[in-house]
Amino acid sequence: MTENTPYIAISSIRKGYRLGAEAIPIFSDLDLSIPRGDFVAVMGPSGSGKSTLLNMLAGIDGPDAGTLRIGTSRLDQMGESARSSWRAHNMGIVFQFYNLLPMLTAAENVELPLLLKPLSRKDRRNRVEKVLDLVGLAGREKQYPAMMSGGEQQRVGIARAIVSDPGLLLCDEPTGDLDRKSADEVLGMLRFLNQEMEKTIVMVTHDPQAALYANRTLHLDKGNFHEEKRAA
Amino acid sequence: MSTFIKQACVMIHANIFSLRRRLAISVSMALSISLVVCVLAGFLAMAKGFEVALTGAGSPMVAVILGGGTNQEAGSDIPADAIRTLYAMTDDIGVSRESTGSLISSREIVVPVDVKQFVDGTTRTLALRGMDADGPSIREGITLSQGRFFTSGAREIVVGDRLAAEFGLGVGDTVRLGAVDWTVTGHFSAHGSAFESEIWADLDAVRAAFERQGQIQSLRLRLTSSASLKVLQDKLATITAIPLVAVSEADLYAAQSGRTANLIRLFGWPVALLMAVGATAGALNTMMSSVSDRTVEIATVRALGFGRLSAFIGTWVEAVILASAGAVLGIIASWLIFNGWQASTVGVNNARMAFQLAVTPSVMLTAGLLGLAIGIIGGALPAIAATRLPLTAALRARG
Repeated sequence: MTENTPYIAISSIRKGYRLGAEAIPIFSDLDLSIPRGDFVAVMGPSGSGKSTLLNMLAGIDGPDAGTLRIGTSRLDQMGESARSSWRAHNMGIVFQFYNLLPMLTAAENVELPLLLKPLSRKDRRNRVEKVLDLVGLAGREKQYPAMMSGGEQQRVGIARAIVSDPGLLLCDEPTGDLDRKSADEVLGMLRFLNQEMEKTIVMVTHDPQAALYANRTLHLDKGNFHEEKRAA
Repeated sequence: MSTFIKQACVMIHANIFSLRRRLAISVSMALSISLVVCVLAGFLAMAKGFEVALTGAGSPMVAVILGGGTNQEAGSDIPADAIRTLYAMTDDIGVSRESTGSLISSREIVVPVDVKQFVDGTTRTLALRGMDADGPSIREGITLSQGRFFTSGAREIVVGDRLAAEFGLGVGDTVRLGAVDWTVTGHFSAHGSAFESEIWADLDAVRAAFERQGQIQSLRLRLTSSASLKVLQDKLATITAIPLVAVSEADLYAAQSGRTANLIRLFGWPVALLMAVGATAGALNTMMSSVSDRTVEIATVRALGFGRLSAFIGTWVEAVILASAGAVLGIIASWLIFNGWQASTVGVNNARMAFQLAVTPSVMLTAGLLGLAIGIIGGALPAIAATRLPLTAALRARG
């Protein structure tokens, strides 16, 4: 892979769903390139295929045809189990509704991805403390999600997504359930992760203000991307 | 610790600590399983109690001779000639002898008699056993708890402790059995065995009162050792006038208890299994609702990279834990309700036999395993369903 090779390369992707006897096409010939270290916002109306795209990038769903490469891995050629393992080691996901396990503390939630790695308890604890400190939640390790605000819960979600130090972060409406102030804090944190820690971020959002935190915005409509031109 | 075990531990932890969200349905599942366990334990305790009462009555050191081709005392008849022939044998026939050389034996007859119950005045059929003077001592574990044994020829009876309490037969009381009155001279204990359900009296007095002169139904003999039964059987084979069989008292009662106990189990198991099918459906429903309740959590950890097996284990273990709780509850309830409960049935000689239900460790284990099986079977399908949840649920559902 050369320096110019995109980190995420989607080529001639075809994807559709069946609704009874009817076939519903989502993408018929989708292409997309995202270089390493980019921060891309994906916007589009409901039903445009944003979630389908995110599911495919996360390896939760596979394309019907075409190639999907992230880094050096061909996700379109992997089985479900291999994609699951790949996801555990290469990607973090930030969910719209945080998806924290309510019966686990903040630290235990953040620790979840590390349980898939051969790390000692001490190493895991050190990493958890470090990322909780990074997202501004030092000292809140033992608090349960119900004891935190929405913004704080999303920061725990971000800590969980980056604790295993993945190269790619997929964010699904990360501010969709937050007030403006909390949303700005979370988005600022994502920008920090992109600029200071060189994480590649793909963020699906409906919020134009959120999209402004990204380096570029792609509009998905009728199965094709259109890049938004921004004022200099 | 391997990553798989860590994943499974997290899933089990998440399941158990989310139980309070579905407390009502989880408790109902545990209770339905406890009911099944309790019912089965009740039937098994009944069968076990009956077995204990009868097998406790039999000793391998006592031989019972029956005549007339039957293996039960009720239809047996031993001619006096045959007994005289046996008593005349002076060589070793495997039977212990008195210092005088006579065989330690007891000729016996059992007559069903109607006795009015102390509590509600209803009449029950009991076994009145006429026996020789050696009758009580030839048996093992018989102790006189009150009064004295009957005297030869007198219309006196001794009563088992259980009967005495239930029928209000105090020492010195007079009770009408058949056409004549009898005086209670004592109570005896047989450690809860079937003997305690009998009334004992002198053989000649019983035969005279019930016009059974000359009749002998069984002959009990104390063996020199449990192995000497074979010697006795060989000697009996030389008496060709009438077919006589010699069995150990232990085998006689074990065979009789086996039939009734199996009958009780034959009723108990289908009832319990039918209930278990219902409880399994309930468990399946409960666990399906558990999976539905935890859809986002399961899909989230699967999206993070957790394997399918951890989702399966988490759900299955929850089902097994709930089933175990139900089984333990059922066992405790059955022990509190049934253990030591007095019951009675038509026992040997068509007379009433009292016994105590016995919730033994084997009863608890069997009933408990059925409860556990309900959880294992009822939890398996939902556990498989948990592994097949669409992960897209994690990306869109509100947690």
